[in-house]
Amino acid sequence: MLVSFVSTILGSLLSVCITCLLAFAVTLIFRTSTTTNFAQSSIAAFGCYTVAWLFAKGLPVWLGAPVGMIVGAAFGIFIDNFIFRRGRYVGILSKQIITMGFVSVFFGAIPLIFGNPESIPFEPLYNYTKHGVSPNIVIEIAGGELVVTKHALISATITLVVLGAIFYLLKNSKWGLSVRTTASNEQTAQLMGINTHKVTAISWALAAALGVLSAVMYAGSGVMISATFMGAIQVNAFLACILGGFSTFYGPIIGAIIIPVLANAVGFLANFKGLEGIGRWQMVIVYSIILLVILIKPEGLFGKKIVKKV
Amino acid sequence: MKKNYITIAAGLMLAALPFVGLSSSVVFAMGTTLIFAVMTIGFSFLMGYGGLASLGTAGFVGVGAYIAYFVVEVYKLPISVAFLITVAISLVMGVLVGFISLRIEGIYLALLTLGLSEILRNTFVSIKATIKINTSTLKMLGMPVGELHIYLLIVAVFIVLMLITTNLINSPIGRALISVKNSPSAAQAMGISLLKHRVLAFVVSTVFAAVAGLLYMLYVRNITTSSTQLFSIITSLNILGAAVIGGAKSLWGSTFGTFLIYGIQSMFLSKIKFFVQNPAFITMLTGVLIIIIVMFYPGGLAQIAMTLKYKIKNLSKKTNVGGAL
Repeated sequence: MLVSFVSTILGSLLSVCITCLLAFAVTLIFRTSTTTNFAQSSIAAFGCYTVAWLFAKGLPVWLGAPVGMIVGAAFGIFIDNFIFRRGRYVGILSKQIITMGFVSVFFGAIPLIFGNPESIPFEPLYNYTKHGVSPNIVIEIAGGELVVTKHALISATITLVVLGAIFYLLKNSKWGLSVRTTASNEQTAQLMGINTHKVTAISWALAAALGVLSAVMYAGSGVMISATFMGAIQVNAFLACILGGFSTFYGPIIGAIIIPVLANAVGFLANFKGLEGIGRWQMVIVYSIILLVILIKPEGLFGKKIVKKV
Repeated sequence: MKKNYITIAAGLMLAALPFVGLSSSVVFAMGTTLIFAVMTIGFSFLMGYGGLASLGTAGFVGVGAYIAYFVVEVYKLPISVAFLITVAISLVMGVLVGFISLRIEGIYLALLTLGLSEILRNTFVSIKATIKINTSTLKMLGMPVGELHIYLLIVAVFIVLMLITTNLINSPIGRALISVKNSPSAAQAMGISLLKHRVLAFVVSTVFAAVAGLLYMLYVRNITTSSTQLFSIITSLNILGAAVIGGAKSLWGSTFGTFLIYGIQSMFLSKIKFFVQNPAFITMLTGVLIIIIVMFYPGGLAQIAMTLKYKIKNLSKKTNVGGAL
């Protein structure tokens, strides 16, 4: 029983990686530009389509992914530099609505540019069938089997390396210091001589690139690509952010680990007698638990309470 | 008072549409657009006057649609019963969200309502993935009801809700709401109850959304929950977009915004070959329009209209001066 429980939890490894990357991207933009980027998933989908298009032209996915990330980053910089900085009266709510406008733009542009989205061929980061290797790793422990897909392991390694590097830079580099300063107060940061325009532009580029990376990982697991295919992940990422609290960078990551693990743990309950039908209610239960936690602790699990001044 | 007469006149004009020889597809498109306009009015009240952002519209629309399905199709009860149940349940939900909004504010509240809406959507998919109403079971006051009757019902509901909202805004309650929006602390210091007004704002938007869902179910009669965008975040975002494009502080402005987002495509552009082959083009255009309006006219189309009116007024004044000289 225990082994099969561990196996179920391991099954959420890939969605943990995807949600982590997206949640970090959302937090990064929220902290530096004080807005939630609804277009995160659409930019990611666009980048993923670019990778798929290159794949159809013969370029393997692991080579195409950096290209897709660069395309995504270009969109990120475009939104920050040419839309947010040029608008005459762009406040917090207007920024949100502009990103929402971009959702529509991408929903329209993707079918126009890449054609009908029906079943686009894609491959995992490492193509097992071509190399004649089994896609799963099976470990036998205590009379049970632990099954992990190699794709999930590769994705986890990449996620760990990328997020580890970013967190190290955030803590120890000059860039990290300027991001943290901008996040705490943009005006003061400007007064201290930090080029906040550059900081937000890099944040947008980084966030969009991470979004594309997570989309490539998700598509590699065999999900059908469409303009909306990252939508559900984005909702999870948003909820992970408020669950962990926007006020720290690591809070959302922990939230993003909790949600998929919790979902699989709830799904595991279906093995017990009388709870067979719980699979259908999986997400309802998970979201309800998250909502309850947020109601009890509105600033998030790791958030700091903000004192309001009149 | 004058405003009320204009609203009623507009309602009569809308009700006359099917009788002046317009094709049924155009009337159908008008009907669905009006349903979305009902959601937008409620949302504009919440955002423009309550100052609260919600992304939960889609979930409450679903509540109305599912109540309509279960009451009318499964239990074979008249539409009026479905109406009463929808209003009652959505009222309770609105009060609930209103209470939540006292604890959580701003972007957190928007994302929380998004979570609530996702819970509702997942619940709907688990309960029943496809809901369908047979035309023969639709009855109002004991009479069989066709599509035309439902259209007239939609217009009536739209106008009544419009009148209620306009008068709410121009009453002491509306002024109290604006003061709460501008500064909750200052409003409380003046003796205005935060709880009462927040709850009211959420009740209005929730009930309107649920009623719109009920009307949609009666009018379209066939919804596949798992594949439709109606109950997903897309609808919530589109309603938000409509309110912003039109101007959240003007009810007719946001109605016009709804028309831009939902109406134009189904009413006019569906006749032109290019747009039929590339429906995505309009989605893209809507997005570009939203971005441009938000960038340069934060008050929406209503603000543009007001500026134009002002300029024309000034123009006529200048010519008068010129004439006197």
